[in-house]
Amino acid sequence: MATARRSKGESRFIRYLILGAWALFCLLPVIWFLSIGLRPRVEIITPRPIYWPTFSLDAWHMIWEDWPMGKYLRNSVLAIFGSVLIDLVLAIPAAFALSRYQFRGRDDIAFYILSTRMMAPAIVAIPIFFLFRNAGLLDTIWALMFVYAAINLSVVTWIIRSYMLDIPKELEDAARTDGASDLRILWEIIIPAVLPGIITASVIAMIFAINEFLFTLLIASTPDAYTMSVALANFTGGSDGVIYNAIALVAFLAFVPVFLVVVAIQKHLSRGLTMGAVKG
Amino acid sequence: MTDSSLPNAGAASAAPAARARRSFKRRSKRLKAWFPYLLVAPAVLYLLVITLYPGIFAIVQSFYAVKFGPWRPVGFDNYINLFNDWQFWNALWNTLVIGSISLTLQCLLALTLAYHAYRDPWVQGWRIIFLIPMLFMPSAVAFIYKLFFLDGRVFSDLLIRIGLIDSNLAIQSSVWMSRGLLILADVWQWTPFLFIIFVAALQAQDEEVEEAARLDGASWFAIFWNISLPLIKPVIAVALILRGIDITTMFTNVFIITKGGPAFGTETISYFIYRTGFKFFNFGYASAASVIMLILTIIVAQVLVKRAFVSARA
Repeated sequence: MATARRSKGESRFIRYLILGAWALFCLLPVIWFLSIGLRPRVEIITPRPIYWPTFSLDAWHMIWEDWPMGKYLRNSVLAIFGSVLIDLVLAIPAAFALSRYQFRGRDDIAFYILSTRMMAPAIVAIPIFFLFRNAGLLDTIWALMFVYAAINLSVVTWIIRSYMLDIPKELEDAARTDGASDLRILWEIIIPAVLPGIITASVIAMIFAINEFLFTLLIASTPDAYTMSVALANFTGGSDGVIYNAIALVAFLAFVPVFLVVVAIQKHLSRGLTMGAVKG
Repeated sequence: MTDSSLPNAGAASAAPAARARRSFKRRSKRLKAWFPYLLVAPAVLYLLVITLYPGIFAIVQSFYAVKFGPWRPVGFDNYINLFNDWQFWNALWNTLVIGSISLTLQCLLALTLAYHAYRDPWVQGWRIIFLIPMLFMPSAVAFIYKLFFLDGRVFSDLLIRIGLIDSNLAIQSSVWMSRGLLILADVWQWTPFLFIIFVAALQAQDEEVEEAARLDGASWFAIFWNISLPLIKPVIAVALILRGIDITTMFTNVFIITKGGPAFGTETISYFIYRTGFKFFNFGYASAASVIMLILTIIVAQVLVKRAFVSARA
């Protein structure tokens, strides 16, 4: 009895040791990076690293005054929300068809949509670049919006489809006997029932769009279309090298809203990340 | 159901109203059959434009020399050159090495963490803390690691302070240390992705099975290894495939941290295509590499992905 209890205590000790160590591993770089954002530039790259820097809001003033940060922020928000909107308009009807109807080729279509998630950005980067160049859309928010929507369409469709598959058939059967049309059933019954799925899909799409780097790098060549993600890579003051404290602050500026939204949908996160393959 | 159409067709044909109604019914029936296709069509068309069009474009372009001037047809030259190009094979090899080490580490770490966390009373708290790295922009994470290990030399300094080394590490000139840096950044940011999924899968399993095994005197680890792990195998497969795809297309970290160096030791296939196309403007050649990657992707998608997603759903 005593040994059993001791081994239980030991295993709990090991458990918290492992989880605690990983938590530190997660948090220390973040805290250190925040300290980079809140120190003057001369204390970043020094012969010997400085661990207790002087507090300074230099970077904060710099990103708003020396760089068109407001513009980058606006570009990001417009491109991201626009892309999520396109995705929802396209994905909700598609998911409805793929989850509530029997028709020939249904599973193949569903799999085709899924398989576009497997496409490496680098593979399609060159043709997409030429496509937008010929359409005169290079360096515009529109191009970013269309690309983000394309990247996320598979994810959004599959997540919403997975939630729609969970709705019992009786729910719509009752409405159908009342003579409701298919589109009304979608609008009045299915969409309200899968609202958590739609929100989850939108959040996941939003995160991927914020993170997108390669396409944005190729499409955006002037601050007119820079988003936060690529603006970061351009925070290099020419001969001065990389302006790390500005990068750090922008990183946190983008992190905070994402973190809050993700915590709010935490319960649905694993389902969203696996495109609906895992319920939990 | 069809009684009105066949037996007394001759008699009923007199009434035009009935015919109209019937033809409307037939039309609406045809519309009904097409309805689901109409619903999926916009999404599928959109994706075709963004996948099929680039695919065809890349195939066509791969048979041309495209540099600044007009396209010049070169037959299979791009492919032949590609197969003789050590940099292409090197990029494939790097992608494989970096990707497989990183994926293995992430999977083992995430499983270990998930095993310890999923029955813990504070599992929600752990989840939120572990999530944090994943929610930073990848470009920002790349800069964190670039500063900590390379530009700021903080890592070297810490090792010197605890007396492990005497002088700054030359990470940038060592192929394996540079690869290690890319792997570390990827593990730090993306282990949470697997962790979140594994925890959800472990929590979703039937608790009674665990309880029964527990009463039989099985240890927690034995239960995990013999019962839980086999149960969540389909989920692990899906998660690893999604992560594997993103790892093999790794670009941001290479672009920001190592630029493919030293001596092309960290150049991944994505970076190879980017460099060939957008740095040397050798678009035909880069397209040939894209086409080969596309074929590999389709094979992997058909074989692995289809099976994994079907079994995870069932």
